[in-house]
Parts: sequence; C-alpha cells; structure tokens
Amino acid sequence: MINPLDLTGRVILVTGASSGIGLATSILLSQLGARIVLVARNKDRLAAALPQLEGTGHRAESFDLATPEGVPGWLKALSAETGPISGLVHCAGAQVIRPLRVLTSQDIDVLLKLSVNAALMLAKGFRQKGVHSASGSIVLVSSVMGLVGAPGRSAYCASKSALNSMAKSLALELAPEGIRVNCVAPGFVRTPMLHEAEATLGSEQLRRVEEMHPLGFGDPRDVANAIMFLLADTSRWITGTTIVVDGGYTAH
Amino acid sequence: MTTYDFLRALEITLEIDPGSIAGNESLDDVGWWDSMAALTFMAVADEQLQVTISGEQLAKCKSVPDLLGLLGDKLTA
Repeated sequence: MINPLDLTGRVILVTGASSGIGLATSILLSQLGARIVLVARNKDRLAAALPQLEGTGHRAESFDLATPEGVPGWLKALSAETGPISGLVHCAGAQVIRPLRVLTSQDIDVLLKLSVNAALMLAKGFRQKGVHSASGSIVLVSSVMGLVGAPGRSAYCASKSALNSMAKSLALELAPEGIRVNCVAPGFVRTPMLHEAEATLGSEQLRRVEEMHPLGFGDPRDVANAIMFLLADTSRWITGTTIVVDGGYTAH
Repeated sequence: MTTYDFLRALEITLEIDPGSIAGNESLDDVGWWDSMAALTFMAVADEQLQVTISGEQLAKCKSVPDLLGLLGDKLTA
C-alpha cells in the first residue's frame, strides 16, 4: 500500500502558523510525517501551537514578517540547522475592511508588506543554494478576495490578487531550480480572522456572506487539505496556478 | 472633542453637506446611512476618539443619538 501524500522526513516551513489555516496546515502536515518549522510573531502562541503537532523534530521560530528585509538571511541560517527545506507555506496575513474614503496609505503598506513583500522575500530566501531541497514547493495562501471584489476591501483584494499573479512569475523563474509555486485561494473559513470580520461587519452581514457559500463557511482543515496536495508529490506537475477552495463562493 | 466637532468631522468624511447632521435624526430618515457609512463611522471613532466599535453595536443603532451613545464620555457637550 502506498500513501502518495506521505511527507515523512520533509522539512516544511509555515508562516502564520500559530492560528487558523496556518495552524491547521501545520498539524495536518505533521500527521503526514513532515517536520514543521512554525513561524509567527507571538512566542506564547507559538509555544501553545507546538505541542499540537504530531511526531518529533518540529521547531518554532518567532519572526515578524512585517519587516521582511531579513528573511533571506534568516532562512539561510535556519536551513543550516534544519537541513534543506522542501516546502514553504505563506499563511501569514492581515485584513483591513475600510471604505476608500477612510483608507490610508499606511493601511495599504501594512497589508502589502505582510502579504506581497513577505511572500517575495520568502521565495527569494527559499531559492538560495542549500536552503531548499532538490524538489521544492511554495504555497501562497491568497483568498477568493484576490479573484472577486467586495466593498471596503479594495486594499485587501489587491494584496491577495498580487499573490495569484506573483505565483505565475515565480513558477516560471523557479522551475529551472526545481521549485514549484502555487496559490490556494480560500473562501471564508472559521478562523480568528473571520471573528475579526464579524466584529467589524456584525453577525447579520456575516450571515449574508455565509449564504454566498453554497457549502457554508469552511473549516481551516478544508484549506489545509489543498495545501497538503500542493506540497506532496501528488502535485509534481502543477505550478503557477491557483486552487480555489471556497465552498462554491465564486461559482455565482 | 465636542459632539459638534465630531459631527462636523463625520460630515467631512462622509462628504455630506456641512451642518446637515443635526444630531437627533433617525437613521431610517437620512439618505447617507448605509453599510459603507457604518464602516466609516467606525473608522472616524477609532481615529478621532480611539473608540473601538463593533458591527454588532452599530447594527442596534436606530438614530444618530444611538451612534453618539457608543462614544461614551469621549465627547463633551
């Protein structure tokens, strides 16, 4: 019997790993045998996440991706300790729900740094000689908001759609180096970020958002399953694409 | 900040005529209150008064006095 999703012994780095999709992904990958490098800002939340993983050899790294300049050097030093990294999942992100008339340049900077700048610096760091394994896979977690629009979310949508297009260029640039690059675009998923959105929008408006998902809101595990597929050898001939995991949200 | 100054700042951000918010209107009777105006009110309250307002609180508001009530003692007469 074979398990085509087996990740035994592979080192996979996950940003935004202390909660939501990042944490669910880390747990699932650990159950498939991967050694996980959990990355997040908050050390306490990282410490709480680490025991939730299965198996051994995992580690937690506190790093603030809002200052992504140091990412390549950090990944170089990190891989010297972990060995070559086979997968990188960029889940870290923030959301801003603000009408254009109150949107500030600073709001945009925060979103783009954590989403776009960080993703590019992570890819730059990952591709360095000795950092990645012979076959590497990068998965960028974007959003259905990178495919469709919503009032008050123009900056957020821009930051997510940038990931979808970035993945195509990175896929072309990094294919000769044995690295695949793809995106997963989730619909609305029951995470702490969804609770933030509910606080802003109110439960009635959130109920209307859920009605736009024929299959209802997703769970973090639903997205983790797609990320898992893109990291495993099951997707070895897939690069430069975006897998939409949205309970039918964009089918309208 | 006075209630008067807050209402003027809200008018500017919502791009409605200066002085058009008297302060006692029902939200059903004004033409400028919608979901984007609600998000704008939250942003102005946060930036001008450092008051965080939830969507749930806003959903219960029926009038401008209800909105101002969310700002507590941050406003002076």
